[in-house]
Amino acid sequence: MIAAIKILTAVVTAFLMSMSFSEEQTGQDIMNAVERMLRSSNDSSFAQIKLSSCRFGVTAGRITCAEKPRVKILETVTMNLGVDNKDTKSISITREPASERGVGMLNYTYYQTDRENQTWLYLSALGRVKRIATGASDDYGEPASIFGSEFTTEDVNYGNIEDYQINILSQTIQDGRNAWQLEAIPVTKKAKRSRYARTVYFVDKERYVSLRSEMYDKYGKQLKRSISSRVEMMNGHWVARSVTMFNLVSNRLSNMAMVDLHAGLSVNEDFLTQRSLIDSAYRETVLNQLRSQTK
Amino acid sequence: MIAKYLLISFALLYQIIVAGDPTDSAASSDNDSHKSLIFEDSLFDALFEPQNHMYNPPWLDAFTVRITHQLFGQINNHAIGLPTGRRYQKKSMIEHNRTGLNIRYSNAFAPNWLLQGSWQARVFWNQDYEYDANKKNIDTEYRINELFLQRTLGRHSLKFGRQTLVWGETVGNSVLDVINHTEYRDFSIIDIEDARLNQWMLVWDFFNNQSQLSGFLNLYPEFNPSPVEGSPLYFALPINLRYTHRNSNPIFEAGARWSKSYEKSDIAFMGAYLWENQLQYRSPTEELMESSGIKNDFYLLGFSTNYALDRILLTLDISLNRGVFPDRSFFVITPLENTVNIKKDQVGISFGFEYGISATQDLSLSAKMEKILDEGDGLHANQALIKRGIEGTWLLRYSSRPLDRNTTFSGTLQGDLDGNAMVVSLRSNYAFSDQIEIGCHVLYIAANNDSRMALFDGDLRLGASITYYF
Repeated sequence: MIAAIKILTAVVTAFLMSMSFSEEQTGQDIMNAVERMLRSSNDSSFAQIKLSSCRFGVTAGRITCAEKPRVKILETVTMNLGVDNKDTKSISITREPASERGVGMLNYTYYQTDRENQTWLYLSALGRVKRIATGASDDYGEPASIFGSEFTTEDVNYGNIEDYQINILSQTIQDGRNAWQLEAIPVTKKAKRSRYARTVYFVDKERYVSLRSEMYDKYGKQLKRSISSRVEMMNGHWVARSVTMFNLVSNRLSNMAMVDLHAGLSVNEDFLTQRSLIDSAYRETVLNQLRSQTK
Repeated sequence: MIAKYLLISFALLYQIIVAGDPTDSAASSDNDSHKSLIFEDSLFDALFEPQNHMYNPPWLDAFTVRITHQLFGQINNHAIGLPTGRRYQKKSMIEHNRTGLNIRYSNAFAPNWLLQGSWQARVFWNQDYEYDANKKNIDTEYRINELFLQRTLGRHSLKFGRQTLVWGETVGNSVLDVINHTEYRDFSIIDIEDARLNQWMLVWDFFNNQSQLSGFLNLYPEFNPSPVEGSPLYFALPINLRYTHRNSNPIFEAGARWSKSYEKSDIAFMGAYLWENQLQYRSPTEELMESSGIKNDFYLLGFSTNYALDRILLTLDISLNRGVFPDRSFFVITPLENTVNIKKDQVGISFGFEYGISATQDLSLSAKMEKILDEGDGLHANQALIKRGIEGTWLLRYSSRPLDRNTTFSGTLQGDLDGNAMVVSLRSNYAFSDQIEIGCHVLYIAANNDSRMALFDGDLRLGASITYYF
C-alpha cells in the first residue's frame, strides 16, 4: 500500500512537472528539476552501493572490461540540510575489499559558492580522524575521486545550476525514451574552474533523470561519458540504479550500482558527525537501526 | 650477488605486470572512436542479483586477514670512515626473509558493544637476521597488537584494552604524539604509524555535536623496547640493559583532551601525566654489569590545531613538557659521574603543510622542534649535555596513485634539522586484484659523523614484498 502511494506520488509529481514546463521550459528549469529529483531521492537515505572499476577494451565493437573489475562495497547515509535542503551531509563506510574495510569518510557539501566543503577521513592505522583539505567541490581543476573510482565529486553533484548557461540543443530519443539534449556551459568564475568546459546531458522528459552525459574539455575533446540504466521508482523517486562512467583519457570505467536505496528514513543529524567515524560501536548500532527501518 | 638476486626478482615482477596487460589497441585509440561503440551494462547485472546483495557471513565479515612475505636487504658494499680514522666495511646482505600473518577482528556483537583486536605472527626464514640470531634456526614470534572492548552509552563511550592513542595534528612528526611507546626494530619501519605499540588503557569519550572530551588511564605504562638482537640497530654492549622493576613502585599514566571542530578548523587542548617512553640508562658498577632503565615521570600540556584553505591544510602542535631528563637517547649510556639527573622543562612545536596537488597526488612537509629550557642551569663542571639547543626533525612526503588506479607510489624524505642525516624512502605497490598486491621499497641513508646514524651512511636497502588479503 505504501509502495503504491509512493509510486502514485511520483507519477503525479512528474506529471505536474511536465505540465508546468509544458509551455515554457528552459534548460535551467529542466536541470533544476533533474537536480531536485536526484536530491530528493537521497534525502535522509541509507544506501548500499557497489562501485566496480576496470580498464575497458573493445571486443566485437562492444565495450567490455579488459580485466576483472575491482569491486568496493560501501554503505552511505545522506541527509539534506540548510536553505531549501540544498546542503548535504553524508558518511560512507567501506565494507569491501578486506584491505579497505572500515575506512570511513564524512562529507559536508555546501550549495553556497563561498562556503568550502568539509571532509574528514578515518585513518585506521592512527585510530583517529583527519581533516582533508578538498576545497570547494568545483574549485581548482580536478575534483576529488570517489573512493578511487572514475567518479569525482563533480560528477555526482550537479552543484549550483545558476553557475551554468544551459541550452536545449534538441529533442531526441535516448534508450527508447523521449529526451531533451541539453548542454551546460560554465559561466561563473567558480564554474569555469570545472574540469569540463561543456557537458551535454540527455534527460528523460518524463522522469527527469539524466540518461547519458558527455563531458568535454575546452578543445572540444570528450573526456568522460556516463551512461545511466535501470531507471526505477525507488521510494517514490525515479533513480538510475546503475551509472557507468567512462574515462576516455585513461580508458577506465567505473560502475556505480545502487544495490539498495531507502530515502525518507529517520536519521539523527548527530550520526553525521566525526563520532560515527571514531566510535564503531555507536556507528554499527545506528546502521543496524537504519537497516531495520528499510525492512 | 644479493643485489642481482633482488633485481632479478623485480625484473620478473615487472614482466608479470607487463605481460598481464591485455589492453586492446582499439581502446586506446582516439576517443572519437568510442562514439560508434556499444556499451551494454548487462556486464554488471550480477551486482544486482539477490545472492550478491549481502556481504560475507557476519562471522567472516568481522575478520580481515593479511599474509605478507618480505625480502629486504642492504645491497651496497662500501666502507664508512670513522672519527678515529679507521674504516668500517659494510657488505651487502639480506636482512629480512620473513613471512607475516596479521589477523584483525572487529565485531559489533550487540547493540552499543564492540570487540576489536589484531594479532600478528612472524616466521623468520634462512638469512633473516632473526634466523641468524636464533643460531641459524627458523624463528617465530607472536604478538597481540590490539584488543579492546567498547561500550557506548548515549553520548559516552568507554574502551578498555590494548589500544593506540594519538594526539597532535602533524601526522608522523608531532611533539604531542608521545602517549604510546614505539619500536623501531629495523629500517623496514620508517613511519611512526607502523612503529607505534598499543598499551593497556581505559579510554573514555564524551561526544557533543562537533566537540569531544576524552580521558585515558593507563595502569601499566610500557617503554620503548631495546633493538632485537641481530637487527641493524642492535649493538652488542658490554653490559646488559634491563627494564626497570615495577612491583615495588607501581606507576600509571592519565590524561584528558578536549577538541572542537569549526568550519575550516579543528582545535584541541590537552594535559597528561606521563612517563617518558625512552628509558635512560647509566653505566653500572663493575660487579653487576647490568643497567636498569631509569623511569621518569613528567607533565604534558599541549595545544593542536589545523586550518583548511582550499586544497591546503596547515597544522600546528605545541607542547610543554614539565620535568623531563635533558639527555634522552636511544643509543647513549651515560657514565655515572656525568649523569645529568636534573629535571628540566621542554617546549616543542610541530608545524605542517599538506597540499592536495590533484585527486591522485598529495604532498606534505612538516618540521618538529624541541628545546630544553635553561639547559645549562644546575650542571656541574664535568657534566655536559649530549645535545644542546634546538633539536628536531623534518619530514617530506609525496604520494601518488597514477591513472591505472592499481599502482601507488610514495616517497618519504626525513632528516634532522642540523642536516647531519637524511633518510630517503621510496615505495611502490601494484595491486593485481583486491586480494593480491606486490610492493618494492628502496631506502638510502646519508649521515655524517655528527649524527647518531653515522654507521649507516651510504647504506642502500632494497626490498620486495607480496601480500594477500582476504
